[in-house]
Amino acid sequence: MAQITLGTLIRKKLFAPLAHRLVLALETPILIEDLAGEPLIATDGAIEGVRYPVIVQGDTIGWVQGNEKAELLASLLAYHSEREVERKNLGSETLHKYKEITLLYDMADKIPACMERSEIIAILTEQIRQAIRFSGLSVILLDKESGKLEVAASLGNEYALGTVIEPVGIMASVWASGKGEIINDVHADQRFVQRPYRVSSLMCAPLKSKESTVGIIEISSAEPTVYAAEDLKLFSTLASQAAVQMENSVLYLELKNAFYTMVYTLAETIEKRDPYTGNHTKRVMEYSLAVGRTIGMSEDELIRLELAAVLHDIGKIGVRDSVLLKQGKLTDDEFHQIMQHPELGGQILSRIPQLQDIIPGVVQHHERFDGKGYPEGMAGEQINLAARIIAIADTFDAMTTDRPYRRGFSFEEAFEEVRRNSGTQFDPKIVDAFFETDVMEAFFRASANLKLRAAPR
Amino acid sequence: MPKVLIVDDEPHIRYLLELTIEELEADGVLLLTADNGETALEIIQAEKPEIVFLDVMMPKMSGFDVCNAVKSSPDLSDTYIVLLTAKGQEFDKQKGQDVGADIYMTKPFNPDDVLNKAREVLGL
Repeated sequence: MAQITLGTLIRKKLFAPLAHRLVLALETPILIEDLAGEPLIATDGAIEGVRYPVIVQGDTIGWVQGNEKAELLASLLAYHSEREVERKNLGSETLHKYKEITLLYDMADKIPACMERSEIIAILTEQIRQAIRFSGLSVILLDKESGKLEVAASLGNEYALGTVIEPVGIMASVWASGKGEIINDVHADQRFVQRPYRVSSLMCAPLKSKESTVGIIEISSAEPTVYAAEDLKLFSTLASQAAVQMENSVLYLELKNAFYTMVYTLAETIEKRDPYTGNHTKRVMEYSLAVGRTIGMSEDELIRLELAAVLHDIGKIGVRDSVLLKQGKLTDDEFHQIMQHPELGGQILSRIPQLQDIIPGVVQHHERFDGKGYPEGMAGEQINLAARIIAIADTFDAMTTDRPYRRGFSFEEAFEEVRRNSGTQFDPKIVDAFFETDVMEAFFRASANLKLRAAPR
Repeated sequence: MPKVLIVDDEPHIRYLLELTIEELEADGVLLLTADNGETALEIIQAEKPEIVFLDVMMPKMSGFDVCNAVKSSPDLSDTYIVLLTAKGQEFDKQKGQDVGADIYMTKPFNPDDVLNKAREVLGL
């Protein structure tokens, strides 16, 4: 309920001159005082007569002293004050609604960009914190695999993070009914089950998207609080927005996973044709990534580098077995056929919109820094950075791998080869980075997990 | 007596801002309003408010013009000016800086932000 003092009313910019003129127009001694007896408006000379109270909704907010005209003025001020209080009440409701709108706007603005569950929860709790008073908050999510409810976020006095919860009491009925609830006096609720922390009032809503309920959010207050129906409405709206986004993010991740799995499967398919290459793709990927990290590539660049490294030999699918698997020296014509594979790879990938960025890394991985490579004969930094990295990783691995017709180099010899070809075959800067990189660690990582990784970072 | 001026040609925004700032009346703050740029400038010159919440998009004299006039007159340049811009509306931040605005806020504004800003500037 809004309150008003006679002082603020009379000092109002537009009302103040009117009030003064009115008092003068009455042509009789008048004194207007606030509740504490401080004079607000007074005519000159002695004031006598009755002190009439200005009463607003049963409360006295000030006095008007004088003859019977003063009573009239007191009534007028009371009427005006009453209107002012009503206006303020309506106003605070309007403001409250307006604040809700800004919160929802804000939420709608921020949340679609969130693909991480933790980000979504962070935004949800922040929006709720701005709108509703509470001393504790917890977000409890259903783990689909275990079927258990686990505390995924917690603020203030609430369940600890990571606690696995058996839904009991009020939470259980919200979970079962899928409908939010306000319990302003938990101790009067028969369903209430004692908590390890103090709670007097709480509000609990399901995190629900269309059909499925992904979790529960609860806020509680240690001191008795009155949560209103409109609080629950906002609370539930924010919760369901978050729930929908959580579901979207899961779908997005599944889709991304499926895509990566396809890519890796494609790469493995090629490898299966040539059993002697063993784990080549995986090692080229690990070497390339390690070098990429050494030169400080961004997360996005690393993802593209990884995909290009995994798919660098994809074009070999178009090279006949008799050529690809031939043991011994290749004829010029056969060698020409092998040399087609980077471009073939580019052609295959050109049909996949999500992989356009990595095509140069695949097509150019046999280009040489001195311009004597293929297919284009590009030179220097004209060659795509990922391709310059993959070139070293690919050659290094080919050198260190045993083939039926020859034994592989030792790592030492291979490193020496890389150094010897710096500035001719390879970009000297990348060679330096390669030497700075813990190549052995990358090698062991590739060997440790022989299956190609099928999950995005 | 500290003074706050609210300038917006849209009555509902002006009203919402008034309702927001009204809380400060208890601290003796005088609330002034204007529904166009010319009146705003007259009030600023006559009343010298400490802080002005000033809508940018107004017919005839825009918020930029008012701000520029205030900030370039020596006796008024201390006036703290909060430019109000509508969300989604193209807002020229550079122009806001050029005319000397202290900060800008987007509508729909968060009432708490408005109130906190007014308190901060008035030292309440």
